[in-house]
Amino acid sequence: MTSRETLAQLKAKFGPAILRADLPADNRLLLYVEPFAIKPVCQYIFRDLDARYVISIGADDRPFSGQFLVAHDFAFDRDRILCSVLTHIPADKPKVDSISDVVPAANWAEREIRDMIGIEPVGHPYPKRLVLPDGWPDGSHPLRKDFAWNQVPEGFDEEREFKFDEPPEGCMVVPFGPFHPTLDEPAHFRLYVEGEMVRGCEYRGFMVHRGIEKLAESVLTYNEIPMMAERICGICGCVHNVAYAQAVESAIALRLPPRAEYIRTIMLEIERLQSHLLWVGLACHIVGFDTLFMQSWRIREPIMWIAEKISGNRKTYALCLIGGVRWDITPDIKTELRQLLDKLEAEWKPVVAAVLKDKNIQARTSGVGVADKTACKNTGLVGPVARAAGVDIDCRRDHPYAAYDRVDFDVITADGCDVWSRVVVRATEVFESIKIIRQCLDRMEPGPLQADIKDELPVGRLGLSSVEAPRGESHHFVITGENNRPRRWRVRAPTYQNLQGIPAMIKDQQLADMTISLGSIDPCFSCTDRLETIDLRSKAVKVWTQEELVKMVKARKA
Amino acid sequence: MSVLSKLKETLVCLKAGRVTLPYPAQAQPVPEKFRGRPIFDAAKCIGCAGCANNCPAREILVFDVCQEVRILKYLGRRCAYCGRCADVCPEKAITMSHEFENATNSIGDILQKLDLFMSTCQRCGRCFKEPSPLEQLKLKGYRMDDLGNERWVYRSKAFLNEEQTVDDVKIELG
Repeated sequence: MTSRETLAQLKAKFGPAILRADLPADNRLLLYVEPFAIKPVCQYIFRDLDARYVISIGADDRPFSGQFLVAHDFAFDRDRILCSVLTHIPADKPKVDSISDVVPAANWAEREIRDMIGIEPVGHPYPKRLVLPDGWPDGSHPLRKDFAWNQVPEGFDEEREFKFDEPPEGCMVVPFGPFHPTLDEPAHFRLYVEGEMVRGCEYRGFMVHRGIEKLAESVLTYNEIPMMAERICGICGCVHNVAYAQAVESAIALRLPPRAEYIRTIMLEIERLQSHLLWVGLACHIVGFDTLFMQSWRIREPIMWIAEKISGNRKTYALCLIGGVRWDITPDIKTELRQLLDKLEAEWKPVVAAVLKDKNIQARTSGVGVADKTACKNTGLVGPVARAAGVDIDCRRDHPYAAYDRVDFDVITADGCDVWSRVVVRATEVFESIKIIRQCLDRMEPGPLQADIKDELPVGRLGLSSVEAPRGESHHFVITGENNRPRRWRVRAPTYQNLQGIPAMIKDQQLADMTISLGSIDPCFSCTDRLETIDLRSKAVKVWTQEELVKMVKARKA
Repeated sequence: MSVLSKLKETLVCLKAGRVTLPYPAQAQPVPEKFRGRPIFDAAKCIGCAGCANNCPAREILVFDVCQEVRILKYLGRRCAYCGRCADVCPEKAITMSHEFENATNSIGDILQKLDLFMSTCQRCGRCFKEPSPLEQLKLKGYRMDDLGNERWVYRSKAFLNEEQTVDDVKIELG
């Protein structure tokens, strides 16, 4: 079905409730509906038309239209359409019908809208605070336009403790996080445990909320945001960098020079290579199989070096500006990258061959952290988690961007629904990435890296963009605005949806499986190092202090 | 037990050998394009403040003491090493160096301060030709960032309390 046919179908069903429909491109559908119709329309799109739920966005549009704005984004993966259902809410009555009971995946997003914008989702099944801490005063909503970016509201009680739900009867509470050896970022799970079995959990996260969206709407300008967007994630930063740039480009209908598209594709795939190898290593580390941890990280290291050569940094590529890229791929790097890919392929093949037949790791991860097709649909799971459950989705193929429509690759799926299948999917996808980079290198033609932008960007346009990050779909939503910066920018990282699948994945599983179930969705990772030396003969360990390290480096420089 | 797999895995490990680098005992060279700590060259700088206008981290401050003297201060605390300052600099006065061992306990170590003598442009006083409309910052006239407290002063009054902003100094155009 094309977006026109989808629209016709929706019009036939809902008629006058649809106030306006925009088709800015063949693969985009923006639907403005009456507030009362938002729930039935979303239900019809989600259940009858079988679209995938992506995210809900709230925006304070009062300075411009005098109303609030709520948008629910859906993806028609087979038809290659990204659709947004929008409705305006009167400023004096910020209430909207909750869709969470018909679209369970909207649970978090609606609570976030309530916290940040102050639009009450009426009829929400679990209307607890999500993003804001319990000590934050009621009626203070940070993403409203009359709330300054650096404001701390009066009455904010930083020390207030979280209020937790009562555990179900007969269950003990085991706290997991905010600090936990396998959890490298703060998130708190209260596990309800009956003996060794996990029966449920309550999640409190958002402890590292950085207010990056607010910053973009009030302080940064269009071309500064990509460098900050990159820092949303510690591993797949380039994804957010590209997704943001694409969202703005889609809003203003800007065409990119082909060479820039190929370079974006290459850098995204380089990032996927390093991320997949990193995760396979980490997952093995969590289950105690350090051999593969070491080997996959060893194989990964040269990819970091080539990224550094191309962009000037191992991880923060600072690649995109609106309308193009900043770094070129020179003939020298081309040759080097080709050689690297050959070596990588040759090294990764025997590893995969050995691991995929390894009964030990298979026994440890099979049947663990199960998320089946229904769970994927209901909680909107994406990426390798969904593909490991036989859900054949991949934004690179379904919503092609950059140069992905010009390359051939397979979407790897498995049907085990468990951690083992995720290992298989991600380990095998490495070969597809190698394939994609090779094709890009062959087809890339000389040309400009930047589109020529002569005028200021138009105001009030909507842009949607989905990019397949290594751990799933990253979705960005942009409304362009005044003063050279967007009015609203909403980022949905893949973990936002995947984390919502965790309660289902760990339910009725062993407590000991919690770590790998959580690790299998690949929540972000960062680490602080210190130096330890071991004398190989005596096995004596010496930990170096910071002063000693500084001294050594200074002596080396002198 | 899958003995064959274990043997294969052993082989992979043996073949790899030793890969640990002797860093930090030995210096580790970085590639040519590496984006390390930006170095500001006062001799080349014309004081256009293009770098300050386009710094995503807002770590470059500008203060106009008078018509002739402008202070440019690079703080470097939150610097993301994105290299946008070097990109937009019309005089190539900023180079992304190869320095990456910048961790320090005293923040002053990475600070750079330029005292610039400014000549006067007949039209607007301060000129910076943006490479594209996207590089525009709608600031005209003098800039008076808060050097003492080391923070940017936001000119956009749109949604801020008044005390947080300073009015643009209006300059008569001929």
